[in-house]
Amino acid sequence: MFTLIKREIEDHIAYFLGAAILSSTLVVLSIWAAYNYKDEPPIYSIGLLYSIGLSIPVIVILVIGFPAMGASQMYTDRNRKISAFLSALPVTRGRILVARIITGILAILTVLAPLTITATVLWHLLMPPVPIYPCPIFDMFVTALLMVFACYCLGLLTGWASSKVTPTLAGLALTFVLIPLIMVKGFGLHTAVILVLFIIASLIRIWQKFMSTAL
Amino acid sequence: MQFRIDNTSDRPVYQQIVDQVKRDIALGRLVKDEKLPTVRHLAKQLAINPNTIARAYRQLEQEGIIVTKPGSGAFVANLDSNLSRSVRKKIVSDELQQIAIEAFHMQIDRQTLLELFNSAVEKFNLPPRKEKSNE
Amino acid sequence: MNENVIEVENLVKYFDGRCVLDGINLKVPRGCIYGLLGRNASGKTTIIRILLGLEPPTRGQTFLLGAESANLSAKVHSRIGYVAEGHNLIQNYTVGRLIKLCKDLSLHWNDKFFEHLTETFRLPMDRRIGQLSIGMRAQLNLSLALAIDPELLILDDPTLGLDTVARRQFLELAIDLIGQQNRTILFSSHILSDVERIADRIGILAGGKLVVDCALEELKNRVKKFRLIFPESAPENLYLTEIVNKEIEGREIAITVTNWNQQKQNMLETFKPSSCTELPMSLEDIFIECTKPDAVPLAHL
Repeated sequence: MFTLIKREIEDHIAYFLGAAILSSTLVVLSIWAAYNYKDEPPIYSIGLLYSIGLSIPVIVILVIGFPAMGASQMYTDRNRKISAFLSALPVTRGRILVARIITGILAILTVLAPLTITATVLWHLLMPPVPIYPCPIFDMFVTALLMVFACYCLGLLTGWASSKVTPTLAGLALTFVLIPLIMVKGFGLHTAVILVLFIIASLIRIWQKFMSTAL
Repeated sequence: MQFRIDNTSDRPVYQQIVDQVKRDIALGRLVKDEKLPTVRHLAKQLAINPNTIARAYRQLEQEGIIVTKPGSGAFVANLDSNLSRSVRKKIVSDELQQIAIEAFHMQIDRQTLLELFNSAVEKFNLPPRKEKSNE
Repeated sequence: MNENVIEVENLVKYFDGRCVLDGINLKVPRGCIYGLLGRNASGKTTIIRILLGLEPPTRGQTFLLGAESANLSAKVHSRIGYVAEGHNLIQNYTVGRLIKLCKDLSLHWNDKFFEHLTETFRLPMDRRIGQLSIGMRAQLNLSLALAIDPELLILDDPTLGLDTVARRQFLELAIDLIGQQNRTILFSSHILSDVERIADRIGILAGGKLVVDCALEELKNRVKKFRLIFPESAPENLYLTEIVNKEIEGREIAITVTNWNQQKQNMLETFKPSSCTELPMSLEDIFIECTKPDAVPLAHL
């Protein structure tokens, strides 16, 4: 399993580098923002953090980037007949798929984990000792994770058959659905449940397709 | 020991090997008690499935032409002169049948054929009858 | 264990509405070297891919080493060496990276043997696979398949693109392998002379059916072609069982028959031909006769 994951990462290292660059940029920006505005009321800097973290460019990068990665993983597999070759070795299709998805999750975490850690740390530093607001960072993290993972799954689903353009557009379309959803329902349990259901449905579909397709 | 496999032949490969071993023995290229190459060696040399060689050797052993001694290999059998002679006779008889078929298709009648045959016998000075003690 | 290593039961496969395999039944016992012949696009590769679970069948079932093809476990895979048609491997990897990948994923790797093969073939470690000639790719492919000491070797047109020397090397390698106990090989090929050299059993695929399936040494005894000449015009209704091919021209009929025996000889004589000549058939001749479009599928020989 480890070998398979390693292979996936090596093949798609560009996405990991992109993720690392993105997250480190955001971390640096956040720290700069927090430092610069540390004399301002905390709300100001928290607001700034929000607007950095949830800014349009970032969201666009995430919801295009990760479906693209999912699609790219499936597309290069089909194009270069990688699974066809691996199937001749003692690996099953199930393991290949699981390794692929784990790689995707690792890439997502590469972006989200440093951000979340930074945000949590800054929150605790900047917010007054008496918590006025309960720390929303964790909820945001989970929702963001689920949302990006949902987009990624969409990429996996569509990437096997078509070129790379369609899934990324699908990812965009999905977010136009998801963003209002989050705005209406907020980062919370409700949104999480809906996202989880969507993810489970797509994963089942991906599994079915990958298991029965001709390699 | 040089054998050749003819892919355009209508005889199965194992049969070709049998034929060639018999021919070599009959023509004196293989002498009695001489060791034949091992199955593996011959398979490698001719680039043929060793099972085919083994099949050929089995057939030869069945016909009494070779004997296999476990651990030592296969050897040309201690042939008596009769067996050798009958093999040789068969070879020539087969050739003659081929000639007869050719003659039929070429529309050479029997008389003409016999005349041609006699002149060939004359030309190569075949002795009228072989003496048994010479075998 | 004397079971069948490969079993194909009533296999049917349609591609885009076109029937490629129309009820194939095949059993390959352990230790057998089976040569699968057929013209281009006759379905040889399709059968192999279905056997390995790369392609789903339309109907029917296939089994490898007792396991169903659709659900081959990693353990079963580790006992099978596969050389796919075209020797594509993974084009953009370097040779060294591909070897390491195979080594890391394999359950059993015979390093000594593999080193010996890579030295014999002189495979360059740091070149990309896409840049190798097809001959070298074939050699790499074969080496990778052999390095796992497989019980069952499935080779799809393994000598495609190999030059004469490389083909000979491959044959000698195959023969070395055959010498080892209980290995089974299924291979498909266009090169009849190669098949005749190394196969024990032979199958000919034509028109979606396995037209011939018998031991190689039996083949030439069982499939016979005759030229019959009749005193008057040739009878239209010349009937024998298991005629593969029949050509009528004036007073002559050329027929190809399988499972030749005395009974058929007697039947033939009832039609009173003025002459009956047996025409010698090499493997190539037999192959051509059996793959003509009107060839009638035969009973299992």
